[in-house]
Amino acid sequence: MTAETLAVGTARTPARPSGLRHLIAPAAIAAALVTLYAWVSTLELDSIERRSLNQAVLVDKTVEHLQMTVAATALVVVIAIPLGIVASRSRNRFVTPLILTAGNLGQAVPCIGLLVLATFVLGVGFQTALVGLVVYAVLPVLRNTMVGVQQIDPALIEAARGMGMTKGQILRRVELKLAVPAILAGLRTALVLTVGVATLGAFVAAGGLGELIINGLKLNRMPVTIVGAVLTACIAFFIDWLGGLAENLLKPRGI
Amino acid sequence: MTFSEYVVSRWDTLSLAAAEHALVVAVAIGIATAVGVGIGLLTYETPKARGASLALSAGILTIPSLALLTLLIPFTGLGWGSTLIALTGYAFLPIIRNTVTGLRGVDAATVEAGRGMGLSSARVLLRVRLPLAWPLILAGVRISTQMLIGIAAIAAYVDGPGLGNQIFEGLARLGSVNSLNATLAGTLGIVVIAVLFDAGFSAVRLLTTPRGLRVRP
Amino acid sequence: MFDRDPAGVRIELRELTKHYPGQPAPAVDNVSLDIPAGELVVFVGPSGCGKTTTMKMINRLVEPTSGQIRIGGQDVLGLHPDELRRHIGYAIQQVGLFPHLTVGQNVAMVPKLLGWPAAKVAARVEELLELVSLDPGTFRDRYPRQLSGGQQQRVGVARALAADPPVMLMDEPFGATDPITREHLQNEFAKLQKQLRKTIIFVTHDFEEAIRLGDRIAVLRERSHIAQYDTPANILAAPADDYVAGFIGQDATLKRLALLRVEDVPYESPLPDPALPAVAAGATLREALDTMVAHAADRCSTPSGVITYAALCGAVGTAHEQAPEEVTAGDR
Repeated sequence: MTAETLAVGTARTPARPSGLRHLIAPAAIAAALVTLYAWVSTLELDSIERRSLNQAVLVDKTVEHLQMTVAATALVVVIAIPLGIVASRSRNRFVTPLILTAGNLGQAVPCIGLLVLATFVLGVGFQTALVGLVVYAVLPVLRNTMVGVQQIDPALIEAARGMGMTKGQILRRVELKLAVPAILAGLRTALVLTVGVATLGAFVAAGGLGELIINGLKLNRMPVTIVGAVLTACIAFFIDWLGGLAENLLKPRGI
Repeated sequence: MTFSEYVVSRWDTLSLAAAEHALVVAVAIGIATAVGVGIGLLTYETPKARGASLALSAGILTIPSLALLTLLIPFTGLGWGSTLIALTGYAFLPIIRNTVTGLRGVDAATVEAGRGMGLSSARVLLRVRLPLAWPLILAGVRISTQMLIGIAAIAAYVDGPGLGNQIFEGLARLGSVNSLNATLAGTLGIVVIAVLFDAGFSAVRLLTTPRGLRVRP
Repeated sequence: MFDRDPAGVRIELRELTKHYPGQPAPAVDNVSLDIPAGELVVFVGPSGCGKTTTMKMINRLVEPTSGQIRIGGQDVLGLHPDELRRHIGYAIQQVGLFPHLTVGQNVAMVPKLLGWPAAKVAARVEELLELVSLDPGTFRDRYPRQLSGGQQQRVGVARALAADPPVMLMDEPFGATDPITREHLQNEFAKLQKQLRKTIIFVTHDFEEAIRLGDRIAVLRERSHIAQYDTPANILAAPADDYVAGFIGQDATLKRLALLRVEDVPYESPLPDPALPAVAAGATLREALDTMVAHAADRCSTPSGVITYAALCGAVGTAHEQAPEEVTAGDR
């Protein structure tokens, strides 16, 4: 664990989309949504299905889902990035391996378990889901931030010190700037992860598209489940695409 | 009933669920490693095929697990089948990516020396590139394993095997006496499995990494 | 194959051309060259002149676009490339030792590929490590990462020699070491080659190295065109054109002196003179000159006789009537 695991933490997609390739993902998502709509229109929906599969409910659930995702991601940014920077500064040689191991094992902690456990403390609802999501997504972002700052070529730091920069200046002007791609990659991963995990929010009555999936299964109405699942997947792909664009725009030129 | 009493009284159920959890993850990882390393070996030299296999496996990983598991129901039904397929699909990205990165990362001079000595390209791949890439490939398998152990919990919702069933039992009986115990048993059990797998990987890594890569200058 | 006789065989390049698709000019253009058996020929030229490409066509790491290559009279292009390479030693600047194999396993690779019996392989590894001055007991079971740069280069040379190939290709094999280690390795290698008499093609951009090691030097310009192909002494004495002269640099005469030994010039008297500054037997004329200038003397003493400044000048064919007077003017 160290260099080998790190190669994996960064950069989700191998090739940066360029030109027309930017548009492949949204086109595919649109095609999937159109197909879904066309398929549902051919079905004769019964009253139970109609209660879920109408515009008001779908918009509602989608908005809830996005709220959960965005709120959780915002909290993760606020918590994990500063902590990651602090961890990267740490001179204690136990901190880095500890976070790396925790980051690795943390992936195995079942988010559904975290969510249900959170209900014993907070009851059911939006906040509970939020806490579960944040706890789940903090570790990968923290790890990526720390690694991103630590993996900068020591020669650059030495050059900056040689130019007379203070530690603070080096951190702000060199280390953080160069760590941006790694931090963004971690955030993007976390965001996509959160879209998926937010479906589980439905289990603790926090709403979202997971509700459609669960209700469809409970009531044995596959169309409802499928609509919920496809919509979630489309949102995940869409957010991943947005994340890719943001990475391209935000990363320092020259890297 | 305290947590320890709960664990003792349900030991048979819990240990069976844990064994199933570990088994379904192990089988999925086994398949994904065989196929993923194979794909890596076949595609690492051709940029297009490499990009396509990475993009596809990244795409699978983007699909939320609850969505993928439920979308598989019409095709593979409830239970083991869907669980195994979804888990295997999720495992590909880290394995293929690390295989490709590892194979490509081998020092060009080492490869040239091998070719110059008259090693055939197949021999260079198997005797030089693969052993040198092995630590990175193993790291990819390890990451996939950790991820699958967590995702497998959700599979219980589509009647899959494993400790996720304990968590969903706790959820279903929210408010009852053993609800917290069941959830805790499921969650902690999964963490224990993860730690055991990780320890296993450390041992495998130690045993299989070529000694020449471990020595210090 | 062509290696019945482990001493060198002749290499012939005929109208050899490499044209990479999509590039306007060929990287190597119509090169013809004969490399006599048992000689070390240095390809020297600036980076990008195609010298490495030319060399790599011989073991077909680069496939020629057209032309012929014959080793010991045998057409190389008709052989299986892998089989061919097992009979040609190959050493490169980055060495490229296999980091997951021990030094012994690295050296044993080709003999094993050729199906040598285990005992013969083991004996050969032992012999080769001794040949490159590495104690087999100490180094056989070490890994490449545990070696210094110079030690790695030695193992690289031992590995290239492993199957006793009649032909060796070497691409700046000592390039990655510090100057002191480098000179040491060059001298050792020159000694080794005297013993082995392989046919060697040695690529470098360092003219000093070319003079030190080469029986012949091929000075290459762009697209691997041969500007001059001759012995070091002849090239130094009569550069074919300005390009070659530029490559030699300003101190051609000093370089020529460095090629000659004190035994090569006539002695003024056949007995050593303890009153004169002394140089060792086998010293180069450059060292003799250095000693004379350092002591402001016009002659110096070797164990087998006294040599004069005039003799040095005579050895490189310059007029020397006035010169000694200038030196003596300051001295006596």
